[in-house]
Amino acid sequence: MDSRNLQFMFYGFTAAWLIIILYVVTLALREKRLKKELDRVKNMVEGGKH
Amino acid sequence: MLYLRQVFTIAAKDLRSELRTKEALNSSFAFSMVILVLFSFAFDPSSEQLHEISGGLLWLVYSFASALSLNRGFARELENDCLDALVASPVPVSALFLGKAVANYALLMAVEMVGFLVFGLLYDVQAAHYFWPVLLVIALGTWAMVVVGTMFSAVTVNLRMREMMLPIIIYPLLLPALMAAMTTTTDLLNGAPFGPNLIFLRVLAAVDLIYTLLSMIFIEFVLVG
Amino acid sequence: MRNKAIVLLALISATLLIYVLARVFFVLPDELNQGAIYRIIYFHVPGAITGFTGFVTAMIAAGFYLATGDLKYDRFSAAVTEVSLAFASINLVTGMVWARIIWGVWWAWDMRLTTMLICWLIYAGYLMLRRAVEEPTKRAKLSAVFSFFGCIDIGIVWKSIEWWNTQHPQPVLSIRDGGGMAPGMEAPIYINLVALLCLSACMIMVRMRQEAMSNEIDSLRRTAHTI
Repeated sequence: MDSRNLQFMFYGFTAAWLIIILYVVTLALREKRLKKELDRVKNMVEGGKH
Repeated sequence: MLYLRQVFTIAAKDLRSELRTKEALNSSFAFSMVILVLFSFAFDPSSEQLHEISGGLLWLVYSFASALSLNRGFARELENDCLDALVASPVPVSALFLGKAVANYALLMAVEMVGFLVFGLLYDVQAAHYFWPVLLVIALGTWAMVVVGTMFSAVTVNLRMREMMLPIIIYPLLLPALMAAMTTTTDLLNGAPFGPNLIFLRVLAAVDLIYTLLSMIFIEFVLVG
Repeated sequence: MRNKAIVLLALISATLLIYVLARVFFVLPDELNQGAIYRIIYFHVPGAITGFTGFVTAMIAAGFYLATGDLKYDRFSAAVTEVSLAFASINLVTGMVWARIIWGVWWAWDMRLTTMLICWLIYAGYLMLRRAVEEPTKRAKLSAVFSFFGCIDIGIVWKSIEWWNTQHPQPVLSIRDGGGMAPGMEAPIYINLVALLCLSACMIMVRMRQEAMSNEIDSLRRTAHTI
């Protein structure tokens, strides 16, 4: 059996967790960006109304 | 009967307009020839290896040729609001779709038949014994390409990057059909009968049927909105 | 209310994931033929099932959108597809790591792997299509249609190990008429599946909120242009 069996098992688990974490980070960053844009556009509309 | 007549009227219109200019026909054909020649530099044309990949090569040529011609399917109707006129006409949208698909099919089969001949000449591939089975596989595989290509040329017709989006979208969808076609064609061109590849033939037929039905149902949502 | 649901689901998921990790590493023995690497199945299979469940759910939601025209179904469909693509990626990557040890290669072109890769490419194309269309209603319609076409491949992937001779292991889960696994080894797969489903539900809700924000930005922009 390949001697790197255990090592690769950890790689596999790391890869799975990494994908989850990367996606969560992407979601968080997108949320921040969208919130900023939403506030900006809301202010633009409020400003235009006055 | 009326429905079929409508389908063939649309198909005839498209064929007539294409045969006047022969733009798509010539460019698909020229492109196929260029790729066939290019492949000869990628592999040693006389080797045994080539016979093992002959089906794959042939279908690669066909896929690239189809991407060129299928893009024009609905795009040619954008000028002068022809697409709006067609959609607003009494012809059912599914008949419009089928008519375009039939026209594309006829054109693509013409390019493919000539391509097959040239392929056989350049790469010393003989299909004399199994010509009709090979023709069947080409016919089924081409229909899958045409149905999906026509459907998604309608989907991408109004997009900015239409020419790039169409291949990106249709190739993954067509991969099961192309895989089946490539494997079956390779075996047939190497002299093996259908036998073990019957599953692939069933996959091709099923894919053809399912994609055609889905396209006829959903084209309404895509074009009429 | 929704935020509470998101936090609750995340907590349930985290608890189950930690429980499975503890069980898998400390309690279960190595497998006879494969050694330690078999433990990848605890992410590989749940990832695939979560991904497929998501894709099919997205298709059903797409159907509801086409029937009703309510954009909330489209937001749901898009969110579910994106999250499911992440889980399908987990399936592919963990599979590749397992294959490197067991088969000696990172990738093999057998039917199960090939059709799964095709599935991934199809839904990556779905996300590209969504980016390319700006008008929300048109985007919703085109994505919905594409969703239906994409689901055909899922059926092929699922059945691929039965229809063709593949290198990929045959079904072992007892729910698929497989041979079953050693006692205690099969349960963590299902527990992890529940954990990943909760996690995906949590992510989907966050993503849907973001889609709603995005739609609101679009409509406010249009209002701003008219003022």
